[in-house]
Amino acid sequence: MSGLVFPNFDGAPSVSKAQMLSGEALRNASDQDVLATMGGAVRLPGGIALPVQIERVLGFGRSFSYWPLLFGLACCAIEMMALGGSRFDMSRFGMEAMRASPRQADGMIVAGWCTTKMAPRVVRLYEQIPDPKWVLAMGSCAISGNIWDTYGVVQGVDSLIPVDVYVPGCPPRPEALWQGLEMIREKIKKSSHAYDGLRRIPARDALELEGAE
Amino acid sequence: MSVAEIMEARFGSRLLETTTFRDDLTYSIAPDDWREVLEFCKESPDLAFDMLDCLIGDHLPERMEAPLQVVVHLVSHTYGHRLRIKVALPEGKTLRSLTDLWPSSNWDEREAWEMYGIYFTRHPHLRRLLTTDDFEGHPMRKDFPLQGTIGGPIRTKLKGKI
Amino acid sequence: MSTEHEVTMEERQPPTLEELKARQARTRQNVGQDIEVLTVSMGPQHPSTHGVYQAVLDLDGEIIVDCRPGIGNLHRGLEKLCENRTYHQIIPMTDRLDYNSSFAMNHGFCEAAEKLMGVEVPPRAQYIRTMAHELSRLANHILWLGVHIMDLGTQTFFCICFRDREYVLDLFEMLTGARLTHSFARIGGVAKDLPDGFEEKCRKVVEFLPKRVAEYERIIKNNRIYYKRAKNVGIFTSEDCYAWRVTGPPLRAAGVVRDLRKDEPYAAYADMDFKVAVEYNADVYDRFLVRMTEIRESCKIIGQCLDNLPDGPYISKDSAFVLPRKKNVMLDAGAMIQDFYHVFNGPDAPKGEVYRAIEVPKGEMGVYIRSEGGGKPARVRFTTPSFYHGQALPPMAQGEMLADAVAIFASIDVVLGDCDR
Repeated sequence: MSGLVFPNFDGAPSVSKAQMLSGEALRNASDQDVLATMGGAVRLPGGIALPVQIERVLGFGRSFSYWPLLFGLACCAIEMMALGGSRFDMSRFGMEAMRASPRQADGMIVAGWCTTKMAPRVVRLYEQIPDPKWVLAMGSCAISGNIWDTYGVVQGVDSLIPVDVYVPGCPPRPEALWQGLEMIREKIKKSSHAYDGLRRIPARDALELEGAE
Repeated sequence: MSVAEIMEARFGSRLLETTTFRDDLTYSIAPDDWREVLEFCKESPDLAFDMLDCLIGDHLPERMEAPLQVVVHLVSHTYGHRLRIKVALPEGKTLRSLTDLWPSSNWDEREAWEMYGIYFTRHPHLRRLLTTDDFEGHPMRKDFPLQGTIGGPIRTKLKGKI
Repeated sequence: MSTEHEVTMEERQPPTLEELKARQARTRQNVGQDIEVLTVSMGPQHPSTHGVYQAVLDLDGEIIVDCRPGIGNLHRGLEKLCENRTYHQIIPMTDRLDYNSSFAMNHGFCEAAEKLMGVEVPPRAQYIRTMAHELSRLANHILWLGVHIMDLGTQTFFCICFRDREYVLDLFEMLTGARLTHSFARIGGVAKDLPDGFEEKCRKVVEFLPKRVAEYERIIKNNRIYYKRAKNVGIFTSEDCYAWRVTGPPLRAAGVVRDLRKDEPYAAYADMDFKVAVEYNADVYDRFLVRMTEIRESCKIIGQCLDNLPDGPYISKDSAFVLPRKKNVMLDAGAMIQDFYHVFNGPDAPKGEVYRAIEVPKGEMGVYIRSEGGGKPARVRFTTPSFYHGQALPPMAQGEMLADAVAIFASIDVVLGDCDR
């Protein structure tokens, strides 16, 4: 390995919570703060520093190739499929390759209500998606359970996993979902996540509380 | 001969109640006659009810002596007629499964058990169908709360599952 | 190598029941005793986009020894929720049952509720309902085709079908305001009248869709690959269908001439002239043919509805059960009181129980309503076709290969919102 030299990823985001912005800090962050979390400049061997942060480069690349997990649960899935169809065509933005395996995915579009039976599977699939990942909650059912305030439905998928963008509607039109995906792409460019450096998710927090009871 | 004539000729007074509200022929029977009546409906060449449209559980708490109820809809493809059979069940009374007559009743009976607690004997595998495996209670009963017994937005226990 | 397949004379004769059973036995492979099976969960999340259906398969190599489905991953407790809502509030909830053909679900519920309450639906409303129902049949079948062929391995056809489905959804948007979840039927009629320009656009769509179907058939019907994947796969005879309560296109593909639009007519179907699509080989291929014929017949029915559309009100005026029109509510005190009563209390349904089955695109859907009087029902049960079709997968897929099971599952058209309610 000694013969290979890598650019110095000096200051690239590590698991340290201090460097990642989340929650309140994220909402109030200025562009400077966001840039600071992106770590230092790309340094080539020989001491040359490129005038761009590594995360910026990666973010720019990732935003044109966000491949979500094929996770259509209910009616919103049909509108998501319509977005993949020819009229609305998300393929022109590089998103039509919806991956069937979470290991190959960049995120999840939770389209439809998540039931109590499906909840552990949603959490498991989310955790199987490798970093970095972004979640879009599509439709009122994924945001808050919609009209299904019953024993069987999780009242909003953000009680289980951290959600980046919420797209309301029942179902949202493909154009509305597209707007949500544009917002996800902006987040991807800035490498800003809904999860923090410790990768805590609400389901595990709830599990801890359950254990305590 | 119409369905009503054939049924009355065969069972007479064992058909406890007959109604034709909105032209739907309905018979109420006692739980002990369940198997015999339904077997006759299927096997009889004049009735030939070859398809079980659905088996529905129900809960009538105001009827104290027999709060549970099972309603069965039958369809005949040879003659095109329909029939509804109802049976009122006290708590704990079991019925014989219809899976050997009409295999489609398998999931219907599982759902009736899960939602109301109506047990069907000789069912291949009577277990929960639509709710989680550790769900407690029979949700469609009138005394079960709509929002369920486990509070909060998640409405289920995640322990051991994630 | 040509992709065309010559249909032989022998294949053109409709087979008898014994012949179908013999074919079933031939195509299903027998597995020996004492074999070691691999249990695989074709789990709730899988790319065959039918929703969250779990099929736990026991496999001996590629052959399915046993299949144990797990449903309930989309169970909302809709029936319990219906007991706490008025009849008018239940209509948008029925939309989300089979979301590919939402209007059909609304229609089914309204038919049952009108039977219970004894409401007379005016003829214009019947025709509009028939037309919207057939449009939802078109939407459902075109979507089915795209997803079915996608399951067999292509992506292009999916895009083609979704392009054509967009025309139908445009019509729905014009008519009802929504692309997918319409909530267009009301107890006593429909929500609004046909907008201006709808008839013209509808005629255009209905004229060009049969040509599209001809193109689909040209691409698929004689395609050697589709033929090999769909012919004699998943044979489910009429006896099996009755036993497992399989209705709709799979039943008609088995040779049974059963269509509730003809046998127990509702809406304006008694006045319509159309034929029931029937095939005889009871396999995946024939279910495809049945649905293509149904698309053509639906286009015919819509044309007839537009030709013979009667004048008159689009909703009944029966004030005890029907919501008044909004403009009357704003101007007339009596209508306002009626509206208030219906929104807060619901219609004054009589005591009793009804069951009404209609032919929705996926099969036969029955709605059972038990009412103890008052605005909210005491028990509502939706006997949806997907519930029983999901149950029928094990007998259909046993002995078949894994890849065939995917094709079979696609052909019986299960939608989990319908199945789990």
